[in-house]
Amino acid sequence: MPTVPNHDHLAQENRPDAARRLSQDDTRFALGRIAGFQYLTVAVFLFLLTGFWVLQVRDGETNSQLAERNRIKTVPVLAPRGKILDRDGRVIVDNQAAFSLMLARENLKDEHIDGIAAGLNLDAAEIRARIKRFASRPKYVPVLVKQDLTPADIAFVESHRDADTYPEMELVRNQQRLYPRTGLAAHTIGYVGEVSEPELNSAEFAKYSQGDIVGKAGLERQYNDLLIGIDGQRRVVVDSSGREREVLESTEATPGNSLHLTLDLDLQAVAELALEGKRGAVVALDPRTGEVLSMVSRPAFDPNAFAGHITAEYWKQLTSGNDNPMLNRAIQAQFAPGSTFKPIMALAGLETGTIEDHDTFHCPGGATFFGRYFKCWQKKGHGTVNLHHSIVQSCDVFFYNLGNKLGIDEIARYAEMAGIGKKTGIDLPGEAEGLMPSTKWKLRTQRQKWYAGETISVAIGQGAVTVTPLQLASAIGGVVSGGVWYKPHLVKTAAAAEPRRAEFRPENVASIVSGMYGVVNEGGTGAGARIEGVEFSGKTGSAQRVSNDLRKSGLLDKDQTSDNGWFIGFAPRQNPEIVVAVLLEGGEHGALAAPVARDVIKSYFDKKIRVTQQTTLQPPLALLHPPGR
Amino acid sequence: MEFLLHRYRNQTVLLAAILAQLALLAYQVKSDGEVRLIRVWAIGAVTPLARVIEAARSSTVHFFRDYFVLLDVREDNQRLKTDLDHVRMENQFLRSELSTADRARALALFQQQSQSKTIAAHVIGNTTAVSAKVVIIDRGTGSGVQKGMAVITPDGIVGKVTGAYPTASYVLLITDPSFAAGVLSQKHRVHGTLKGQGYGTVLIDYVQSEQKVEPGEWFYTSGDDRIFPKGLPVGEVSVVRPGKAYQQIFVTPSGMRNGLEEVLVVVEGVHGPIPENPPGFQPVHMQDPPPAEADAESSALPGAPSVTQVTPARSGPQATDADKMVDRYRQIGEAERRVYGQSGGGAPNFNINLPPASPVTAAPPASPSRPSPSPSAKRP
Amino acid sequence: MTDPQATFVDPAVLRKKDASKFKAATLIGVPLAAILFQVYVPRFSPFLAYLELPLLVTVYFSLMRRSPVAGVIFGACVGLAQDSLSHNPLGMFGIVKTLVGYFAASMSQRFAVQNSLVRLVLGFFFLFFHQFFYWVLSRGLLGEELTFDLERTLVVAALNAFVTVPLYHILDKLRLVD
Repeated sequence: MPTVPNHDHLAQENRPDAARRLSQDDTRFALGRIAGFQYLTVAVFLFLLTGFWVLQVRDGETNSQLAERNRIKTVPVLAPRGKILDRDGRVIVDNQAAFSLMLARENLKDEHIDGIAAGLNLDAAEIRARIKRFASRPKYVPVLVKQDLTPADIAFVESHRDADTYPEMELVRNQQRLYPRTGLAAHTIGYVGEVSEPELNSAEFAKYSQGDIVGKAGLERQYNDLLIGIDGQRRVVVDSSGREREVLESTEATPGNSLHLTLDLDLQAVAELALEGKRGAVVALDPRTGEVLSMVSRPAFDPNAFAGHITAEYWKQLTSGNDNPMLNRAIQAQFAPGSTFKPIMALAGLETGTIEDHDTFHCPGGATFFGRYFKCWQKKGHGTVNLHHSIVQSCDVFFYNLGNKLGIDEIARYAEMAGIGKKTGIDLPGEAEGLMPSTKWKLRTQRQKWYAGETISVAIGQGAVTVTPLQLASAIGGVVSGGVWYKPHLVKTAAAAEPRRAEFRPENVASIVSGMYGVVNEGGTGAGARIEGVEFSGKTGSAQRVSNDLRKSGLLDKDQTSDNGWFIGFAPRQNPEIVVAVLLEGGEHGALAAPVARDVIKSYFDKKIRVTQQTTLQPPLALLHPPGR
Repeated sequence: MEFLLHRYRNQTVLLAAILAQLALLAYQVKSDGEVRLIRVWAIGAVTPLARVIEAARSSTVHFFRDYFVLLDVREDNQRLKTDLDHVRMENQFLRSELSTADRARALALFQQQSQSKTIAAHVIGNTTAVSAKVVIIDRGTGSGVQKGMAVITPDGIVGKVTGAYPTASYVLLITDPSFAAGVLSQKHRVHGTLKGQGYGTVLIDYVQSEQKVEPGEWFYTSGDDRIFPKGLPVGEVSVVRPGKAYQQIFVTPSGMRNGLEEVLVVVEGVHGPIPENPPGFQPVHMQDPPPAEADAESSALPGAPSVTQVTPARSGPQATDADKMVDRYRQIGEAERRVYGQSGGGAPNFNINLPPASPVTAAPPASPSRPSPSPSAKRP
Repeated sequence: MTDPQATFVDPAVLRKKDASKFKAATLIGVPLAAILFQVYVPRFSPFLAYLELPLLVTVYFSLMRRSPVAGVIFGACVGLAQDSLSHNPLGMFGIVKTLVGYFAASMSQRFAVQNSLVRLVLGFFFLFFHQFFYWVLSRGLLGEELTFDLERTLVVAALNAFVTVPLYHILDKLRLVD
């Protein structure tokens, strides 16, 4: 670089004498040029320096690790999950705008974490652990720290995210799940949350990554792949005050698919209200398709509390005590069915020819089998009863005798045919199996012989036999439909799966249905469930939860020892459209469960009337008539 | 080489000076490091001078202001003798002293009344930065000022400390675009976030359309930001305009209404232990969270979170059709005076006509672009 | 400069005899006062915020000292002092003022720096240069997206240029006479 003026200088020295008088001008000329070169040199230097700066300092290392005051940030655009709609397109689960706080790891400083945690009432150690979990991911992926920010949180974030305080804080607007605040269908729908470490290691969640919001329970989990959207992202340049100056690249988020359920909000709402303040479950099915019309489990929880960051206090409240609100009693409570098992017994008796329709047994209020006395619930006895009366009056002695004649394996054969003791296969995670005992079962699990005396208890739905409310609804619904069992499901599917069928003699089915009709309409145990104008049929059940000995011991309080009340009902009598199973935990007697089923059935038929009116007349109510139907 | 260095001495010095400063810049930018020492020196050198000038200025201004007021009086009283004038001049000087004392007393009174511990400070200068709204005050870490502390006047909030040095501190004013604070409206207790705009008025953000804010209403600090204690005046609403997601609420700040000469820095834990931190790191002072408002709504669910739960900042639907449906059936039940699921009274009639309180409208087919994976049900 | 054989003569030497001398106190006091003015005065009359006294003072001393080295050092010192009182990273004003000092000193060798018109034009030119280069630096080095308002800059440059003449006249009084 310095050779140029040097050369110039030499050239000047070698000039001939003739030009000497011009030397004054020449010197001036040379000086001017030298000055020009000086400036040029400085300019070139500056240019090179700038280039060096850009390469080494500004864009050094990764492109994203920029100067504090000039950052390219990747801001995720979180995709909203699909909505969850009822069978008429009414919204059960919606989304609403909310704010989340993310920490940009590009300029994250460890000493800031304590301040951020204190400002947002979080645990600093937890944030650090969270950041550590992200260590393997690219630097530009921010860490989700808190969801569902309150106005106070927003005020804190906004007032501390300046360049001098905590510039790594990133306020992200996202779509937050909005669940029914009443806890309606909470167990069925489930809730979402951030995918956990153990979940990431499981096959089900393997395709998700740290920080993703996934379904954790219920339908949210079952149909997570469908509901989840695809997040977009924006790469933006932000200035020193954290404001976006330029969007470099933007990928839109793709929202998740909506989920159309078979649930009917009308029935669901009535069932929820009917179980308010109780412990129990309601399942309503359409036996012609297997569609679940309502599924309630109470006590419930507030899924909205899980949508953000659930407080330790609320979690403790949910998990302590006997109420167990997180249990979906509709598919997870396994209890002895009690007398609601009797229709299946009757079917087995008739189909096997063990009894005829008109056969009778005498009930003096109890009977002795294998040296042990078994009581009927009616102390004074039912007298001589035939099959019809035994169902209407729920006579235990009749079924003791029938069970004794049938033997456990014949009972088990028909019960299993109806689906007792195995999962229904409903599209929900965590369904319980229930249990149908048999000689084989006892040999397999206890390596013991089945005693005939055990059959007597099973004959009235006690002993080892247990069912879930869903199982019971499905089983009885299939029986009274003539031996057709559709797989229960919550999401509308294009084509109903091929049902399981059994060849029952129609007159046998009719006998059972007739008995169940009598339960409600002929002054039977379910008389309180009668509905004017609807051929509502059903069967009550009361089932012991603990053995008589334990109950007498006084070790348990009444809440734990009182019987469960069951009711299984359907309507109409011919070609039933709806079957409802009700479980009232500690409900003492099935007669108390019956009105719950009654109200659900009533709301179904009342709605049918409304729909018919609407299609013929001008609709009196704007509701219930979704566009496009 | 020596020759070259000699020949190009000027350029060499220039390049050396620029390179050195580039290196300094690079150090700051790359390592996020602050060259705190140099700043401490510079501020230490400037502060005493500025303080002297400010003291001189303020006493001069007060003296002359009152003096000129009195000149008029003097013209009306031409007859008065010069010795009287002389006495009056003396009097004026005393009165000027008194005026300063008055202000100081007002400040002191406020300091006493206020629950927060505050220290008084003088504004002694602006910064040389091009765009930021930052002033320098004459109190620093030596007086217990920490980064992140609130700066107020008896009239309202002024800003927050963004840099504390031994003898002086930087205060970011609430009008700076990077300033934000949590605020609460007086009448309807609407929470919002104040944001500086770079000029006189400030904006209150994150106030949803359905929340009620009126022009003329006052905003106070909410304490949410953990900078300002709750309940300090912020300013009066001048304009309320509906916005896209949130309302646009403009507020005229009240803290700087009477000029900006003396301010109070809100301090707490003055006698706290000095933490050992990495050099260049200044811990950010943080207020305690404000006590919860009693008006937090409780949930309908028995097992729902308790009242201490704070409602999240949300916009959009507050309830889905499911909630409306439950409400509707509850109303039907109440109209028929019955509790569902109880025996007696027979089955309820669900088709009674309710007063049209909350009609539930069916949702439009969701996500029109993506058809649902299933066709509609084959139901009657 | 000590070598009489050198045919090439440093221009700085040519004009060195014309260089003005100042007391050390002046060289320190005046820029400090200028910076204080900038920090303090705009609080009371925001209009005066447009005055870039530190720059004008830098230009003056560089012009009058006629030594690029002195200009560089002087500019760097004033700039860094200004930086340390601003919220910016240290070095931004420093680099700009270093360059201004250097160029002002270089130019002094070509112009009659006592001439009021020349001072006016140089004041205008350097202020414009200063603002422009500051903008370039903050864009290029810090990536700050400041907007360069040409009209405003021209007006500010003109305002400062008019201050140049009386200011320099006052500063002339502080020169040491040999």
